[in-house]
Amino acid sequence: MESRIIASNLADLYKKAADRYESLPAFATRVKALEWDHVTFRDLYEEGRALSAGLIEIGVEAREHVGLFSDNRYEWMLADYGIQLSGAVNTPRGADVTDDELIYIINHAGIRVAFVENDALQKKIKRLWPELPELQEVILMSPNSEPLEGFRALREVMAIGALQLEKGDNRVDERMKGIRPDDLFTLIYTSGTTGKPKGVMLTHSNMMSQMSVIPIELACTDRVLSILPIWHIFERVFEVYTISCGACNYYTSIRTLGEDLQNVEPTFMGSAPRLWESLHQRILDNVRAAHPVRRALFHIAYFLGHYYQESIFYITDNDLQLKSESRIKRTIFKVGHLIRLLILVPWYGFFNAAVLESVRKSAGGSIKATVSGGGALPIEIDKFFNYIGIPVLEGYGMTETCPVIAVRTEDKLVNGTVGPLVPDTEVRIVDLESEEILFPNSKYPHEGRGMRGEIWVRGPQVMKGYYREPEITKTVLREGGWLRTGDLGMMTFNDSLKILGRSKSTIVLSNGENLEPEPIEMQLRQSRYIEQCMVVGQDQKYVGALIVPKLDAFVEDGVKAENLQDLAENDKANRIIRDEIRQMMVRTGGFKRFEQVREFRLLSKTFKVGDEVTNLFKLKRHVIEKKYEQTIKEMFTAKEIKV
Amino acid sequence: MEFDTQLLYAIDEALLGIMILIIMFGMGASLTVDDFKAVARRSRGVLIGFMSQFGAMPLVALGLAIVLDLDPAFAIALILIGCLPGGTTSNMFTYFSRGSVALSISMTTASTIMALLMMPILLSLYTTGFTQQLSEALFAAGEAGEFVIPTKNIIISLVLVLVPVAGGMVLRRFSPGWAKTAEDTAGFMAIIVILFLLGTLFVRHGDILIRTPWQLYVSAIGLGLAGFFFGFWVSRLLGLQPIFQRAISLETGIQNGPVSFAIILLSFADTPVRDQMLWLAILYSAFIVMTSSFITLYYRKKGKFDWEVYRNTVVHNRLFGEDYVTHYPEGFLPPRIAHDPSQGTSPSQKR
Repeated sequence: MESRIIASNLADLYKKAADRYESLPAFATRVKALEWDHVTFRDLYEEGRALSAGLIEIGVEAREHVGLFSDNRYEWMLADYGIQLSGAVNTPRGADVTDDELIYIINHAGIRVAFVENDALQKKIKRLWPELPELQEVILMSPNSEPLEGFRALREVMAIGALQLEKGDNRVDERMKGIRPDDLFTLIYTSGTTGKPKGVMLTHSNMMSQMSVIPIELACTDRVLSILPIWHIFERVFEVYTISCGACNYYTSIRTLGEDLQNVEPTFMGSAPRLWESLHQRILDNVRAAHPVRRALFHIAYFLGHYYQESIFYITDNDLQLKSESRIKRTIFKVGHLIRLLILVPWYGFFNAAVLESVRKSAGGSIKATVSGGGALPIEIDKFFNYIGIPVLEGYGMTETCPVIAVRTEDKLVNGTVGPLVPDTEVRIVDLESEEILFPNSKYPHEGRGMRGEIWVRGPQVMKGYYREPEITKTVLREGGWLRTGDLGMMTFNDSLKILGRSKSTIVLSNGENLEPEPIEMQLRQSRYIEQCMVVGQDQKYVGALIVPKLDAFVEDGVKAENLQDLAENDKANRIIRDEIRQMMVRTGGFKRFEQVREFRLLSKTFKVGDEVTNLFKLKRHVIEKKYEQTIKEMFTAKEIKV
Repeated sequence: MEFDTQLLYAIDEALLGIMILIIMFGMGASLTVDDFKAVARRSRGVLIGFMSQFGAMPLVALGLAIVLDLDPAFAIALILIGCLPGGTTSNMFTYFSRGSVALSISMTTASTIMALLMMPILLSLYTTGFTQQLSEALFAAGEAGEFVIPTKNIIISLVLVLVPVAGGMVLRRFSPGWAKTAEDTAGFMAIIVILFLLGTLFVRHGDILIRTPWQLYVSAIGLGLAGFFFGFWVSRLLGLQPIFQRAISLETGIQNGPVSFAIILLSFADTPVRDQMLWLAILYSAFIVMTSSFITLYYRKKGKFDWEVYRNTVVHNRLFGEDYVTHYPEGFLPPRIAHDPSQGTSPSQKR
């Protein structure tokens, strides 16, 4: 049943949702484990209207940027309703915003009116006020503290608006009518690491296109548990999608997640790799703590699940197809898989029912689907959940594309990829140096499937540009509406997109922290023991380094080594480097905690010009990553526990 | 169909006995005293289930035996299977078919106790004609004596079977962790038993599947299917909600196979019809796993929508208060569910 609302803009969608879903719960927030407050679609809309009238009354103009500095809470959505209904644009950021970011964003976006979540934030703003020349109004969202002098409480603005509406003020309706598809609904500043944050301009039509292409069916009976930060576009799109389907959003937190999974019985959830990692860990811990008999049953069940699902994937053409295979070969293999499947079915059937189901239940039993985004899901964890029967729909996107570009669907669940493109979206795979289109290109066999290059995207979700940064916009947003994602990827032979890494050097850790490797490498190269080095850690929990040591320095220190090979295996050399790294990182003190190099490997060969480094001695990162793939993998898996 | 050699040897019987013990122990390990108390709370569902299990099912068995013109030995076995109480297997299938597991458990407990009374009554009632036929056949063969249903022995076997169940409950009371292990082991054991029996029979009587007349297959498969059918319609016509319809349907069709092995081995041990009866019980147990798997998949698909509405009501009541009523948009709920008291669409309609 198609139940989502299609609207022309966000304000329109909010209105239609209230008209259609009326007294169904829209948002629920936790008071106690078994006591939740909820607000209906109608009440949310009416409160939002009052707030909107209030905002207009205190001077918010159409298309004006309104700051929204808060973490997930009901008032966030209320503020968003108020802002959207007044035809304005919000500029969101979490409550942990730093002073520098706050100053930069407020001044760059020209914010005159800002919502702040709590007492700490309003005090911060007060302190920074001298540096915020354009800021005029600050609205405190939390009802638990009093606004400072000159600041307003959210309820106060709503009261002002309610009075206006009573007097017959119809400016809200006029503002709603005046919203054009091309108008911004949000201006999101991405945490850039080199230089300043960039304001991504996303329009109503960006958002509305996502509403129509998300390949997941939700209905009024669905419950969506929300844990990711709402000011990230990924979570936000799913919350708006939930509204569009008439389902209810339940706000949870890391601390209460386990309990809330049991009580809310969510049927859908947006998630990040870290959540799956911790869930994976928890399941394994439970298994380890179980009776030996149950442990054995789990291992049998996992074994059966593994081979059963792999056969299903192969038969339904959902296996990872990185190379072209002849049809005859595939047919023969399919027959083999079918036989294996028939042998496994009765056993799998039983173990699935008796063992795997209780594991799934502990991970939130009613979940129909969950989209993982915001970073790459480690393949082992991806497979683990698919084998035990929880399909993880990994998706791919970025703030600049509002965000979904591709996502796995239940029919096309190819492990190791981010699935097929969402409708109306085109992708090109482009050669990094020559900018030649590798896919789709009829010159190459299979239109260029299987060829690696940078991913370029075109579609209705692509941003308008970076706010007040035409030069940067021009480097990213190319002719014909193509957006350079900065990610490397390829199209598999069953038309799923596989992400291979970043073409830019920025490293994104699994906790979402971004860091630039160059400054760290520069610092490490200051050491007398280090000839060359490369920092790695994309999608990992911490930063690691590949190091080419200086042989002479070690020999001088009395380390017995003939060549780099000896050195790499030498305990003393490794110890020296470990101490050296610690000292180098501490000495300057300019590095953040997550930037500290926690693990390293000594390489037995130097980087060669033309091979691993350019003739300007710049590192060819993906060449090195590819060459030392195994070493890097080892470095990061050493401390992790395997199944 | 006659067996020229013994169907099972002493060693097989001993193994089978141990397996039955483990299965019944596992069944007990999945039950608590509260489950028995809950029977009273769900009296309406349990009563309808009772009618379906002890009313419709034995009649279906009798009807099948007459229509298919089964040998008296097989007819008695079929009626015996029709009168059996439910087992824990049905609880698992009910869970996956999105039915009410609570009702399934209540029905299992209630029918296990009620079987002590109902089985002897129903058996003597429905098998009269067939026992007479048997006696005449025995007389014609020149053997002395009359074939009677060993009522007293059946009751004793049932009581014996309940001993490990009680043992399982005691374990559950003191060590829920081990009880869960016992439960899973028993479930696993149930499959092993069927495979073991089929395997043994293949080895001993290679051509047994071919020699078995088609009527026997029809009755072994048909009994379960008819049980599902009647269970579903009896409860539906009596106005139960979909999750209970599915539970009663599966509970009616799926009988406690191991109990039938125990009764046949213990009560009919010295009769000439033992092997025939045993063979039908084995066939039934093997086929019921397959038919209930398919029915479960079908119910699961069919019941998706009403199950989601039901769960949403449960969660809303859990989080927003017992009095909370979910108002869906006009036309979202099909009439059948909208007027269903269980869905809690209006306060007066609530359970």
